[in-house]
Amino acid sequence: MLAEKYTTKELMAVCCAHEIKNGEVVFMGIGLPMMGGVVASRTHAKNAVLVYEGGGVGAISRRVPWSIGDNPTAENALMVHEMWRLFSDGQAGYINRGVIGGAQIDKFGNINTTVIMGGKSYETPAVRLSGSGGANDIASSCGETTIVMQMDRGFREKIDFITSPGHLNGPGARKKAGLVGNGPTAVITQKCVLRFDELTKEMYLYELFPGETVDGVKSLVEWDLKVTPDIKVVTTPTIEEINIIHTLDPKGFMLGAKSEGEEDFEKFFQLMKQAYEAVEIDLG
Amino acid sequence: MKNSKDKQISLHDAVAKYLPSGSSYAFGGLGGRDPFAIAFEIIRQGIKDLTVITTSSMDISNIMIGAGCIRKVEGAYIWIGSVGSGLNYRRAVEKGIPVKLELEEYSNYASSLRFLAGSMNIPFMATRSMIGSDIPKYNDKIKIIDDPYTGSPVALVPAANPDAAFIHVQKADLTGNGQIWGILMNDLVIARAARKLVVTCEEIVSTREIRKLPNLTAIPSYCVDAVVEVPFCSHPMWTAGYYWCDLPFRRNFMLHNKTQESFEQWIKEWVIDTGSWQGYLDKLGQDRLNKLVQMEHDNYKIPQIL
Repeated sequence: MLAEKYTTKELMAVCCAHEIKNGEVVFMGIGLPMMGGVVASRTHAKNAVLVYEGGGVGAISRRVPWSIGDNPTAENALMVHEMWRLFSDGQAGYINRGVIGGAQIDKFGNINTTVIMGGKSYETPAVRLSGSGGANDIASSCGETTIVMQMDRGFREKIDFITSPGHLNGPGARKKAGLVGNGPTAVITQKCVLRFDELTKEMYLYELFPGETVDGVKSLVEWDLKVTPDIKVVTTPTIEEINIIHTLDPKGFMLGAKSEGEEDFEKFFQLMKQAYEAVEIDLG
Repeated sequence: MKNSKDKQISLHDAVAKYLPSGSSYAFGGLGGRDPFAIAFEIIRQGIKDLTVITTSSMDISNIMIGAGCIRKVEGAYIWIGSVGSGLNYRRAVEKGIPVKLELEEYSNYASSLRFLAGSMNIPFMATRSMIGSDIPKYNDKIKIIDDPYTGSPVALVPAANPDAAFIHVQKADLTGNGQIWGILMNDLVIARAARKLVVTCEEIVSTREIRKLPNLTAIPSYCVDAVVEVPFCSHPMWTAGYYWCDLPFRRNFMLHNKTQESFEQWIKEWVIDTGSWQGYLDKLGQDRLNKLVQMEHDNYKIPQIL
């Protein structure tokens, strides 16, 4: 049954989950992608194997991880690798999908998470971002890439820095460069889902979120965004999917609820204790 | 030869002896088993001009950058995961506060392979990552070459052999055989790549105990120069099976991260004025530590082999 109430971030997480197919091995990037992976692994993709950069393979966790090496990434895991071995498995073609975020993106799905130059230099930029982490490796080698990012000022004709390769400068470019994976197939934003044309490798508008318009989306994209002729509205979340999100992320971290004030230890402790106790897991 | 029977030293000496100013270093763990006790001791001893060699790093590097210990980062990511932003890192890169950072950037896999090459005593490793991206444009250590056997492009990255590595583990014996449960990061290869290796542990156990589960031993004694028993070494992060993450404490640090002035107040309060790791734990209070232990034991318990 479809949920009546959900937030836009929750809808993004669920759209991300819907990209993940049952049986896939999925490399989960930090933040909202992790929520998508966890929702998928508890609904339609129970046989998906989630892997995390810190080395955890196949974890069944009772809380969404807060980082790539957080305890839940190894909770009830099938195995634990070293990081270099896990990425080697990706490079060898064992990992079907990677899910990553981004700050800037161009029409071929190349992503910047390194610097916003702002008229300055790489060495002394206007805004320094986190850097690649494992996003470059995931985008380089996983079978396909799902991108989850906010659509505000980041959809650019030319991005400041290619941290993670999309389709580079168009058809055939990845193969020529020597990259293993097939590149991005979907971009999920807070307004819409975009996909990539099979022939041109260019991003196009595929589905809208409820209440959003084609013109509204196009106004946020620097290039002339192509639109699928039979544009539809995305499938909205089920009650089950929203319940999973609320249970596994009781503090709302993945969905952007960053606390601004002091956090009371005792209250936090009790909340998390109850959250762990509320989760039921099936270890097969 | 690193075969002495008892390598135990103090936390103070582990830093003073193995990490003079100007050294390069690597830490084990990430988001768990991060050696905070070592980082705080580095800050207390006023060690500067360090080069950190890492893949991804979070709170621990942001704190050391804000404290002015680090001059160069060789790695892939400095931020605070999903729960915060790397504001100290941003200030250092964008504004040179408190120290202008030099960057040598790779991806996580490439950084990992640098440790792997270092651990194998070979000069470089090849990868299919980073090609096509701008990462090699800004890092001339990365060489894109045509593979001499097939002609296809590959990226080469140089071996990393940090002057010192500090790796926190759950259990070690007096000679340094270190056992890890839970996430590994690159700790097996970092241990072997480092020129000097300090193993910190939650508890020192007998060699007889180590032998019960040899598969858990990630670090063999022959790599290890010194062993330090440091309970709660990773607070405010986890050590799996021992204590839970103190997220409210991290939140408090992140609030103070917003300006250099408020961050320096935080450092004074929690690192300098506490005087020692024990002083820091005393300030946190036994009740808080007990709750973190309880939460971990209730939720992530190391299976026991009798």
